[in-house]
Amino acid sequence: MSGVQDVRQRNKGKGINRDASGPSSAVDYDDHNVAYLPSRSYIESFLNTEEASAAVVAILTIIAFFTRFYKINHPDQVVFDEVHFGKFASYYIRREYYFDVHPPLAKLLFGLAGWFVGYDGHFDFENIGDSYTENHVPYVGLRALPAILGSLTVPIVYAIMKECGYSTIIAAFSAIIILFDNAHVAQSRLILLDATLIFFLSLTMYSYVRFKKLRYQEFSPQWWGWLLATGTFMACTWASKVNGILTVVAVGVAVLIDLWDILDYKKGHSMQYFWKHFIARAAGLIALPLVIYLSVFWVHLAILSNTGPGDAFMSPSFQETLRGNELLMKSHEIRYYDTVTIKHKDTQVYLHSHPERYPLKYDDGRISSQGQQVTGYGHEDSNNQWQIIPTKALPETGRGRIVRHEDVIQLLHVNTGTVLMTHDVASPLMATNEEFTTWPKDDHSRYNDTLFHLRLSDAAPGEAWKSKSGHFRLIHVPTKVAMWSHPTQLPDWAFKQQEINGNKNANEKGAVWYVNEIVDSQDPDLKAKLEEVEMKEPKRLNFFKKFGELQLLMLQHNAGLTASHPYASGPINWPFLLSGISFWTQNEGQKQIYLIGNIIGWWASVGGICIYIGILGADLLARRRGLEPIPDDVRNRLWNSTGFFIIVWAVHYFPFYLMSRQLFIHHYLPSHVASALVAGSVLSFVLSETINTPVSAWGPSVKPRPTTYADHGVKAPVMVAVFAIAMFSLYLFISPLTYGTPGLTGEQVNARRLLSSWTLHFAAKESGNI
Amino acid sequence: MKPADVALNFGTPSGSPRTSSDFEELNYPHHHTATSNSPTGSLGWTAVPRREEELPLPHYMSEDTARRRVPRAPAVDGGETFVAQDEKHPMDYDVYDDGGKDVYAKMKAARGPVGSGRLRRPPAPPPTTVGELIQQNLEHIPPIIYTLLACWTRFHKIGKSGNVIWDEAHFGKFGSHYLKREFYFDVHPPLGKMLVGLAGLLSGYDGSFDFKSGEAYPEHVPYTAMRVIMATFGVAMVPLGWYTAVELGMSWRACHLVALMVLFDVAWLCISRFILLDSMLLFFTFTTVFCLSKFHNQQYHSFSFDWWMWLAMTGISIGCVTSVKWVGLFVTALVGLYTIEDLWDKFGDLKMPVRDQIRHWGARIGCLIVLPILVYMASFKLHFLILNHSGPGDAQMSSLFQANLVGNDFASNPLDVAFGSKVTLKNMGWGGGLLHSHVQTYPVGSNQQQVTCYHYKDENNDWYITPRWGEPEPDAEGPIRFLQDGDVIRLRHAATTRNLHSHPIPAPVTKLNHEVSCYGNLTIGDEHDYWVVEVVDDIKRGKKNNVDKIHSLTTRLRFRHQVLGCYLRAANAILPQWGFKQVEVSCEKENNPGDVHTYWNVESHWNDRLPRGNTKFYRSPFLRDFWHLNVAMMTSNNALIPDPDKEDILASKPLDWPFLRLGLRMCGWGDNQTKYYLLGTPVIWWAGTTSLVVSLLVLAVYLIRMQRRYADMEPREWDHFIYVGKIAFFGWFLHYFPFMIMGRVTYVHHYLPTLYFSVLMFAHLVDHFVLTSKRFSEKTKWIVFGALSFTIFACFWWFRGLAFGMDGPINEHWGLRWRRLEYL
Repeated sequence: MSGVQDVRQRNKGKGINRDASGPSSAVDYDDHNVAYLPSRSYIESFLNTEEASAAVVAILTIIAFFTRFYKINHPDQVVFDEVHFGKFASYYIRREYYFDVHPPLAKLLFGLAGWFVGYDGHFDFENIGDSYTENHVPYVGLRALPAILGSLTVPIVYAIMKECGYSTIIAAFSAIIILFDNAHVAQSRLILLDATLIFFLSLTMYSYVRFKKLRYQEFSPQWWGWLLATGTFMACTWASKVNGILTVVAVGVAVLIDLWDILDYKKGHSMQYFWKHFIARAAGLIALPLVIYLSVFWVHLAILSNTGPGDAFMSPSFQETLRGNELLMKSHEIRYYDTVTIKHKDTQVYLHSHPERYPLKYDDGRISSQGQQVTGYGHEDSNNQWQIIPTKALPETGRGRIVRHEDVIQLLHVNTGTVLMTHDVASPLMATNEEFTTWPKDDHSRYNDTLFHLRLSDAAPGEAWKSKSGHFRLIHVPTKVAMWSHPTQLPDWAFKQQEINGNKNANEKGAVWYVNEIVDSQDPDLKAKLEEVEMKEPKRLNFFKKFGELQLLMLQHNAGLTASHPYASGPINWPFLLSGISFWTQNEGQKQIYLIGNIIGWWASVGGICIYIGILGADLLARRRGLEPIPDDVRNRLWNSTGFFIIVWAVHYFPFYLMSRQLFIHHYLPSHVASALVAGSVLSFVLSETINTPVSAWGPSVKPRPTTYADHGVKAPVMVAVFAIAMFSLYLFISPLTYGTPGLTGEQVNARRLLSSWTLHFAAKESGNI
Repeated sequence: MKPADVALNFGTPSGSPRTSSDFEELNYPHHHTATSNSPTGSLGWTAVPRREEELPLPHYMSEDTARRRVPRAPAVDGGETFVAQDEKHPMDYDVYDDGGKDVYAKMKAARGPVGSGRLRRPPAPPPTTVGELIQQNLEHIPPIIYTLLACWTRFHKIGKSGNVIWDEAHFGKFGSHYLKREFYFDVHPPLGKMLVGLAGLLSGYDGSFDFKSGEAYPEHVPYTAMRVIMATFGVAMVPLGWYTAVELGMSWRACHLVALMVLFDVAWLCISRFILLDSMLLFFTFTTVFCLSKFHNQQYHSFSFDWWMWLAMTGISIGCVTSVKWVGLFVTALVGLYTIEDLWDKFGDLKMPVRDQIRHWGARIGCLIVLPILVYMASFKLHFLILNHSGPGDAQMSSLFQANLVGNDFASNPLDVAFGSKVTLKNMGWGGGLLHSHVQTYPVGSNQQQVTCYHYKDENNDWYITPRWGEPEPDAEGPIRFLQDGDVIRLRHAATTRNLHSHPIPAPVTKLNHEVSCYGNLTIGDEHDYWVVEVVDDIKRGKKNNVDKIHSLTTRLRFRHQVLGCYLRAANAILPQWGFKQVEVSCEKENNPGDVHTYWNVESHWNDRLPRGNTKFYRSPFLRDFWHLNVAMMTSNNALIPDPDKEDILASKPLDWPFLRLGLRMCGWGDNQTKYYLLGTPVIWWAGTTSLVVSLLVLAVYLIRMQRRYADMEPREWDHFIYVGKIAFFGWFLHYFPFMIMGRVTYVHHYLPTLYFSVLMFAHLVDHFVLTSKRFSEKTKWIVFGALSFTIFACFWWFRGLAFGMDGPINEHWGLRWRRLEYL
């Protein structure tokens, strides 16, 4: 054993004066099974009394509230993404349907907060910089919600560390990293979703830790309670913001590891026992969260019952469930010989034709048919009008004249008296697609080429074609191409209008069209109907169908957020705080809000992670060589407890590398919380030879183990105090960027540009003379 | 060896299956006890078929025992029975000899020397008669037959299409450049193309044809001979596949399966039949896996001659495969992972002396890192040695390198640069190009004329050095004003007369820098056109202080924007399609004096009033050229991103490959042409992909069962299952996944090296579940094996036209219509 002891000393002795840690250092830690460490250093025992702990957490919480609420009314302008989330709160209060990529819980809470402070939802949050005071918006009430949740995150972080068995001072260290972090403060003071997300994330972690600690008292009421709490908070995280799904994954990974251990034969459990555990977790961590997640959407959809700006994203049947929706009001069945305008669903241009012809020869040398141009045009025009011509005999009157799914029709361009056709000639811009043109209606020589199959989306056989709601594809009968358009402009000869051509792949997204309006009809009833506008009751649609549609759209749009943004940054920049986001600027007084973290806290966190990985690596290498430098219980704490934090960190961080959507530094904040926890554990490992153990509740099947206590002596409070002061000073120094006040001169801005990669406004020019 | 033994050894292991009780005593629950017969008698596939189902370890131990017997009964044992059951089985392994105390210790030892690959056998005694020689080598008969078959498939009607097919247009052309010794530039490393050149040389081609896509080969181009030489690499894939399977310890039927699949895959066949790099890439990928599996089987004979040889061979093979295409890095990664795991195991071996540990590390570093790098660099050295004439790729290289090419006139440029000179400016960063501008404008930012870095010679690279606005233009008669450090100049673009300009507008890609554009004309302009010339140093004259006048080629310059204080920079950021994927030029706000991407030199220099220079000074050092060329290759490779505005019907996405959703047309589709279509044999691709998924499921099931202490396999069997599975799965994953995250445009032939690993996985799983399983009778195994072989062959026969060439209108080949998408 002496050899092992030697190694331990080498490993740990660095920079630590063991005598300084008080009389307890006399205890032979080789013998870590001793029943009780008679005396911890005075300061350690004092800090770990309940009263001291309560006092510490109270102080932290009070400071947290102060930092989050300080000048919360400044600026009285719309800042950054308040444009979106403030707007959504308004929509909830006005009960108008909107569409967003994020799940609704956090936004619902904003709506609730708004309603609570008596906001009537009249303001639209149109632009960054719009004034709240001029528009009489009770924005402080809205901002108070994330500020409260953000403040509460600090004591929760403290509690997580405490529950994991760390000393008060270590727990305070982790909490301080969050407490004095400018990024967390800035993000919590504004109408943004992240504070809610992080709040629920930390609650999830807290509950899971509590649940894990009860593992020897399985199936007891408390055990169930914390299991269900984990599930609930996890669902809330997930329902707050789309990246909350990562929390579900993180907990999932932890649970799988847990189950894998239960499965281990060495533990001596039966399969029946395993299945019992499995089912309990499935119920608490799959079924319950699903129910909660669905309920949130149910509430969301139940509140948003009126038509609103989000209508256009949804399918016609969905839209018809919204009160006052245009589709609901203006959708009519279309009859033959009706004159209609047709719009392209994706790009919202009208199907258009005009007497000008395609040029005989294009720039690239290909030849056209020189037929009349068919284009997509963005504005109302009489050249957008088409009449629907039947290809079969029609009854004089009645419902037989209605155009139906799978009918073959011709489209007559009213102004030029020509019918739409396509043929095997390459389109002006795409050699692989067919050119669309028209043909005189009386010339029957190319009759076949003017026939189109009307294929309605999701239609039953014989379903009637309706304006607005009847999305359709127009399939050319002889060549099977679909009328298709894409947002590419034709050259000057077509007045830069949009190209329309025939796409061989009829299932492409760009082949969907709808009838925008029935301009004229031969049917007297319909004509009369077109005049009047009546109030119709919304239709009903199964909740699950609506939910499914919405969920799918959210995923699609989330993946589609690829446009570049000047402040977007790659994940590799985040832990090192290489770049921030400019939230808001005001030229008058040179004020600005710039989202950037406290560099001391961030670098301490990332340093903690590096050291942790280093320790694990060294441990693995040493054990591979038959050495055991770390005592078993300390090692278990490192692998299991800190391992859970690392899982949370990694799962909330690495998936962003695979995402091609635009990414911002605030996506790292959940990981940053986890990294603060890791930093705390690493500090504890460095400062103390021992740990507080056992921390888990006894169960009947476990034989009691001797208690040990961590002892950080006096050095830990001193270190943490120095750290806190450093954090606080830097926090104060950067705070003009966080709170947007006071304004800074150019030189002051330059001084606060701690890293050259920060792009602050109003910086004094360092060189040049512009 | 396999079939030979089958043919010869009809003997039955006559002894009782319970001769060895060692294993009986193990506390193995369930399965094992039920089947723990004597491993001694088991001859696996080398043994008698009808006994096989009873034998617990069908192919490792059995083989070993069988092999051991050869030297003992070296005489004639054709048809003779092997009777060796009395032999105490553990004695087969040297390590067992001192065991015998502790069963578990014995088990551990047993894991060692047997290994997870093919079993070692002692060398056969030297043959005394010809008959014996033949007999000892009977195992090589099937691969020889397969090789002959491969010759037929690969060479059959290979010259049928007399046109330049698909990428022959590129690689044939590059081969010609080697024959003409003209410097060219390409995104792939040179080894493969040098071999194409060699093939041309051997077949008597003179390099005069320019390989226009789709054009008919003229009389004097021996394209058939060149294709045959390329196809030879394809032929060699088949025996390599066979021997790899043998080395991986597969049963004889599985070896046949692997060989059959390699032989009959239409895509491998098709790609091997033309003048392309892929046959070589595949060949070297196969050799790498083969060498690795050979090396693995030497793992308990560290530092023996064979061990060193196969380790070195693996390294050379890695070097070759990466020198053909960078895709070879993926198989390198596989070897890397294998080595890391191997070293990790060794690291945990506490009995191994430190000296041996270090030797192991040293051997790996030497053979798997240094050696491949040497091979890679050697191929470049050869490349530079052969291509010593000026050619189309010059401008990719540094000015100095170009000056040393035969036929290049840089060295005779006027030496001293003066006002009024027309110059081209070369960026000195790795892979840098020439400062360029063209009439197209930026669609973003200022909307002024684009300025880029361009890698080809072009009139748009020419710039005039002119003085500031208001200063007199250089007088054709007056004194010559030479350019010096600190001079403020305007750079006027010769073709458009606009001036190089910068302003505080973010550059299109590197948004933190200022945009650089061309603005104004001969009379319009402002102070934003001023650039301060800063001399860094001179390659010939050394430090800045020694530089009085600025010389072309050797003086390294920086251009500082006078107003903004930023530096002209080009750092291989690629512009989007509107900039023709050329390199972005921007003006960097920070002053990093060490940043070579802000260094420029004058490359071409025209000034009628100055005397011609005649300096052939410094050679550009090899390492510098090597690195420069590699960065340039990397940059061009990254520029091969799909163009969203243009539909590339040949390109496909990685998700299309595993289930063969799309193929690739390799030539024109006219009715009178011979048509080739790159499409795999569907059953092989589908089976391979399915087996990968299955392998993961099976692994999960086994792991869970192990966690519950169900012993499904003996440790050695498990080791083997895991070892082959790891090679196949990680090989596949490493070759496939990078394409998913790569921005580059991808084609179906990128999957071809990947396919090999899915083939191995399929054979491995069939082997595991059927061919070596104890549950199936010999008859069942025959049926399964026969059915699989027949399906593979039938499918190949159905689709053979894709690779042998199809004549006539494509619509007449009704049976080949693929997936209702298109007529092929």
